[in-house]
Amino acid sequence: MPFISLSRIYRFSAAHRLHSVALNEQENRQIFDKCNNPYGHGHDYTMELTVTGQPDTDTGMIIPLPRLDKIVNDFLILLEHKHLDREVSYFKDKTSTGENIVRFLWQELESRLPDGILYHIRLWETNNNYFDMGKEL
Amino acid sequence: MALKITISKKFEFSASHRYWRDDWSEEQNKEAFDLCVSPYGHGHNYELHVTAAGPVDPQTGMIINLTALKQNVSEIVRQFDHKYLNLDTPFFKDRIPTTENIALVLFDLIEAKLNELPGVLLDRIRLYERSDLYVDVWKE
Repeated sequence: MPFISLSRIYRFSAAHRLHSVALNEQENRQIFDKCNNPYGHGHDYTMELTVTGQPDTDTGMIIPLPRLDKIVNDFLILLEHKHLDREVSYFKDKTSTGENIVRFLWQELESRLPDGILYHIRLWETNNNYFDMGKEL
Repeated sequence: MALKITISKKFEFSASHRYWRDDWSEEQNKEAFDLCVSPYGHGHNYELHVTAAGPVDPQTGMIINLTALKQNVSEIVRQFDHKYLNLDTPFFKDRIPTTENIALVLFDLIEAKLNELPGVLLDRIRLYERSDLYVDVWKE
């Protein structure tokens, strides 16, 4: 039996600022450069979410798409048009880097999706940089 | 970690389909399949990525000649192009032509075809239904 996965692409737009409380002003500016801009800046994030498992024999699907979309969209609405550092508690003490956002997405979506089907998340911050987290890595 | 080298080629086909189970009520069908229950079917421009693996021939520098890959896979893709998958193909009499099932059928057909060519193995396929939905099938 071959392996099979399904990937679905979702988008959300949010603001953030890269600034670590563990560093002083100068260090923050040096490390995070323009991403340390005091009033923040934003991105249109693109998330490629991959689930795996044998397709159900009745529906022919790993998970019915309307169900997948509802689970993911009900969660993403919490980030949509928000300032991540100020409005999402996970980032109170963590910088909202792509690495930390993809970890947050993984943690939250894994707990909302049916057991064991989450396989991979790719988070595009811009067209030029993306972050991967997955079971096969 | 062992290095691996593959070659991939992209194909396109346009087809229509409908998700529906006769043994379910209309409500059950709509809950599972949403807009895809539309009675006369609807269509997509599918995009298929075929990835082959195998040793690089020292004389040609190729895993597989791209023309050979194109010819062999196109023969299979032709059976899906401009068809109503539920009725015009023999593959979905007993299963719904979801992206998962189409990809599984394509994987089996392409694998069997490439097995006829010496030294080439089908590594994986990726089937895009639209730009926001795709299925991967692979063997380890």
